[in-house]
Amino acid sequence: MGRINPHGRGSSGHCRQGVRVKLHTENEDSMKPANHAVKRVLWAGLATIAALVMGGGSLSFAQESVSVRAAIVTGGLPVDDPNAAVWTSAIPATFPMSPQVHWPDRIQEVTVKDVIVRALHDDQQVAFLLEYSDPTQDPDDGAALEFMVGDKKAHFAHGQPMLQVEGGPVNIWFWKHKDDKAVDMSAKGFGTLKPQAHQDVKAKAAYANGTWKIVFSRPLSTDHPDEDVQITPGEFISIAFAVWDGRKDGAGELVEKGSQKAVSSWWYFRADAPPDYSSYMYAAIAAALALGFQFVLIRKLKKGQ
Amino acid sequence: MGALGKPIILMVAMYVFLKFVLPYIPGSAPLPSSLIFLYLILTASGIVIYETLSGESKDAFWGPIQRFLTGENIGGLQALRYGVLILFPLLVGWQTYGSTATSDLPPTESRTIHPAPPGEYTGLVNPVPKTPENIMQGKGFYAAFCSPCHGGNFDGKGPAARGFIPAPANFADPTTIAMLQESYLFWRIKKGGVGLPIEGAPWKSAMPRWELELPDEWIWKIIMGEYDGAHQSPRTWE
Repeated sequence: MGRINPHGRGSSGHCRQGVRVKLHTENEDSMKPANHAVKRVLWAGLATIAALVMGGGSLSFAQESVSVRAAIVTGGLPVDDPNAAVWTSAIPATFPMSPQVHWPDRIQEVTVKDVIVRALHDDQQVAFLLEYSDPTQDPDDGAALEFMVGDKKAHFAHGQPMLQVEGGPVNIWFWKHKDDKAVDMSAKGFGTLKPQAHQDVKAKAAYANGTWKIVFSRPLSTDHPDEDVQITPGEFISIAFAVWDGRKDGAGELVEKGSQKAVSSWWYFRADAPPDYSSYMYAAIAAALALGFQFVLIRKLKKGQ
Repeated sequence: MGALGKPIILMVAMYVFLKFVLPYIPGSAPLPSSLIFLYLILTASGIVIYETLSGESKDAFWGPIQRFLTGENIGGLQALRYGVLILFPLLVGWQTYGSTATSDLPPTESRTIHPAPPGEYTGLVNPVPKTPENIMQGKGFYAAFCSPCHGGNFDGKGPAARGFIPAPANFADPTTIAMLQESYLFWRIKKGGVGLPIEGAPWKSAMPRWELELPDEWIWKIIMGEYDGAHQSPRTWE
C-alpha cells in the first residue's frame, strides 16, 4: 500500500516515479509482461478500496452528535426510585445549560450549568432520570423536559411562532419540589403554557449530597397525540431541558422563576428498538450473490478462451 | 507501459489531487468523500470508454484483467488472486450491512448559517451617521443586550452562550459579519432566530427578535458598534 501514499506528502509526480522504480525491479525479475499489468490492476483496486475506507471514515466523524437513548429493561422500570441500581446500566448523556435570554423576562446567570440525563424503557413505559448539582434544597426547585409534538418542528422556547416556518406545539413535563409530582403541560407560543386535561406523567425526586435526581415516567404512547409526545421505539425525537433553582435573594425574592430559568437547546432522544439481526442476513445474501457472480464470470471467461 | 499503467496512474493521481491538493487551493475546501467517490467513478468510466474505443486497445485493457481473474499463467500472483476473490464478496457483504443496519446516530441536520434574507432587507443603508459618539453608543447597547451571548470580546463566548446550539456568532471570525452587509445584520437582529427561513433551522436559535424591544435606530448603532469592536468592516460590492 506504500505507493498509494495516504498521507499525501508526495505529488502525483512522486507517485509516477514510485511506479517506475517498481516496474524496473519487476523487469529484473524477468516476469511475464502480462503480470506487470495485472499487478497494476491490483494496486488500482487497493487504491480504490483505500479511498472508500478513508472517505467513509471521515464521513462518520462528521455525523457525531449527542443524544440520550433509552435501553430496554425487562426486570421492571424504576419509575419510583431515582436511586435504583438499574439506572447505572443506562448510559448518561450530559447537556450544557444556558440562562434563558431568548425572551423577557431574561436572566443573566443561573445555578445549573449541566444536566445529566439517563433513560430506560420496557416497551410500555419510558422513564427519564434527570440529575444536576444544586447546592441547596428549596421548595421552589423545579425541572422540566420538553418535547416536540407531531411532525412539525417547534421552537425550543415553548414552541413560540416562527415567522417563515409553520411550527408545532410542545409537550412539557414539569416537576416542582414542593408538590413532588409531575404536571403534563402543552404550549404553542408564549403565554399559552397550560396543564393538560389528561395527566399522563409521573415524577419522583430525591435530593442528596447537593444533587437532585428526578425520575419522570409516562407510557410510551397516549390517547392524545395532538398534545402528548408519542414515543416509537427506534425513532429519534427532539428533547430539551429546563431547571429552576428555587433559592431566594437577600430580599426574599425568588431568583429563578417563570421564564428566568436554565434552558438547553434541542437534543435527540430515542427509545431503543428490540435488537434486529436482519442486516446480518442481508449482508450474508449479498456476499453469497457476489461469490456466485464471481464464479459464473470466471467460468464464462475460461470457456470463452 | 502497458495499456493498464496509465489508467492506474491517472486514478491514483486523481485521488491524491482531490483529497490532498484541492483543499489547499485558496478559496477551496475539503471535498466530501461522496463527491470524491463520484469523481473517481467518473474518471474510471472515462478510462473504460477511452480504452475500449478500438479493438486493439480493448484487448490490451481487458486481457490482463481476464488473465488475472481466470488465473491462467499468472504464476506467483495466484495467492493474490485468491485474496481478491475472497475479499470482494466480503466487501459487498460489509457494504450491505453498513447500509441496512440501524444507525445509533441521531439524524444529521444541515443548517445554512447565513441564509438569504427577505427581499426588503437587501441593500438597506445604515441611516445613522458613523460618528465616534454613535459607535460608542452602539457599543453600549451591545454590552447591554448582545454581550451576554456574543461576548464582551465579540467572540461569541459570552457567559450565557454555553448551552446554545447553534452557538452565538463569533464576530471576530472573518466568516461572519465581515462577509455580510449591514442590511443583513439589520435583518438578523430585528427578526432574530424565529425570523430565519427553514434552511436556517429557526427552531434551534436562541437569538431574540429584537424588533419587539429595540427601536431601529438602536439596532443600526449596535451594528456599527459590532463592526468597530470586532475590528471588521461590512462587505461591500465596490
